[in-house]
Amino acid sequence: MGRRAAAFARVANVTRATFDRLPPPSDRTIAMPSDDSADVIDRAAGLAPGDPLHSARRFRAKVVEATEASHEALLRQPVEGLSTADRLRVALHACTIAGARTLARHYEGQLAETSGADAPSSPALPAMLQFAAALTTDPRRGDRAAIDALRRAGLDDAAIVALAQLVAFLSYQLRVVAGLQAMRASRAGVAP
Amino acid sequence: MIRRNGFTDETLEWRSWLEPLQIAAASPLQLEVLDESHPQSRTSPYYLTLAHQPLMLRHRSAAYNAIMYAPGGLPRAERELGAMVVSVTNGCVYCTSVHAQRFEQLARRSDTVEQVFADPASAGTSERERAIVRFAIALTLRPAELGADDIAPLRAVGMIDEEIIDLLHAVAIFGWANRLMQNLGEPEGVDG
Repeated sequence: MGRRAAAFARVANVTRATFDRLPPPSDRTIAMPSDDSADVIDRAAGLAPGDPLHSARRFRAKVVEATEASHEALLRQPVEGLSTADRLRVALHACTIAGARTLARHYEGQLAETSGADAPSSPALPAMLQFAAALTTDPRRGDRAAIDALRRAGLDDAAIVALAQLVAFLSYQLRVVAGLQAMRASRAGVAP
Repeated sequence: MIRRNGFTDETLEWRSWLEPLQIAAASPLQLEVLDESHPQSRTSPYYLTLAHQPLMLRHRSAAYNAIMYAPGGLPRAERELGAMVVSVTNGCVYCTSVHAQRFEQLARRSDTVEQVFADPASAGTSERERAIVRFAIALTLRPAELGADDIAPLRAVGMIDEEIIDLLHAVAIFGWANRLMQNLGEPEGVDG
């Protein structure tokens, strides 16, 4: 199965299940951390299996696994009123304004592969992008008015939680990648 | 008790701007995820708000708990120091109060907390603490510019790759946690 077909199959699989019928994470098809696989963080940070930093990350295998599972749940899990394509647009926007180039390329690639990429975006997308930009650049800008703006744009509380989780996760993800990239640069400066 | 620059190590409450889940209306999955997230989550407005998206909460909690509580690697007091410095830098009064308390419990002293509240940039009672504090500020404020020069002070105080990864995880996950706390609600019990 090609990458594109695999991506479709994954979305279709998740879409068939309701939240409550999804088995716990250990039974799902999320890649388990192992020494011979590279996940989204590894790829964005330029870590290949066999690299010392790739192995050092696996010291915290639970963190590696939960980070990848979060990425999957935040972007792919069905959310009423929040399409995967719009969530990928939010992710691309947040990573672009944060200067997280490799992650921005990752989300751009995911968007191009997503079935809804050609469909029109939600009328709420401008409000979502505005919320994402403010939250990404300065968390102190959060206030009740920003929540009200999302409600006026048509998001219910469950969708607002999903959006806030996504944008907050991206701030985590891009810092993990930035830290690993800096560690990689630091290792390059010492004798191998 | 320490109060300075709007921060405190006293216990605060948090009020949601959304409608927290009513526990009587919770699905079996929501109850399961609440219970695996935090011992008091069934009465916490924060967890009850996030429970609107149970699978997102499940993976967030798995990452958070592994980052902050897993044995080995960076001492837990130093992870709490990172969490507190990020929370002060992001202006998250609620998270700061919780993690100042945790640091005090684990380190059995509060001198570093006073310094962080007064001026994070110069805080730290040892070279090692100062290196941790500066790294936490740098990764929080300028992730896109982080480089080998930001890692060198950590290596200079003897930190190995696994410990540096623990620190960057703790700093990064507070980029996530602060943004939820600051954008879905506000602290209560703060009088200026």
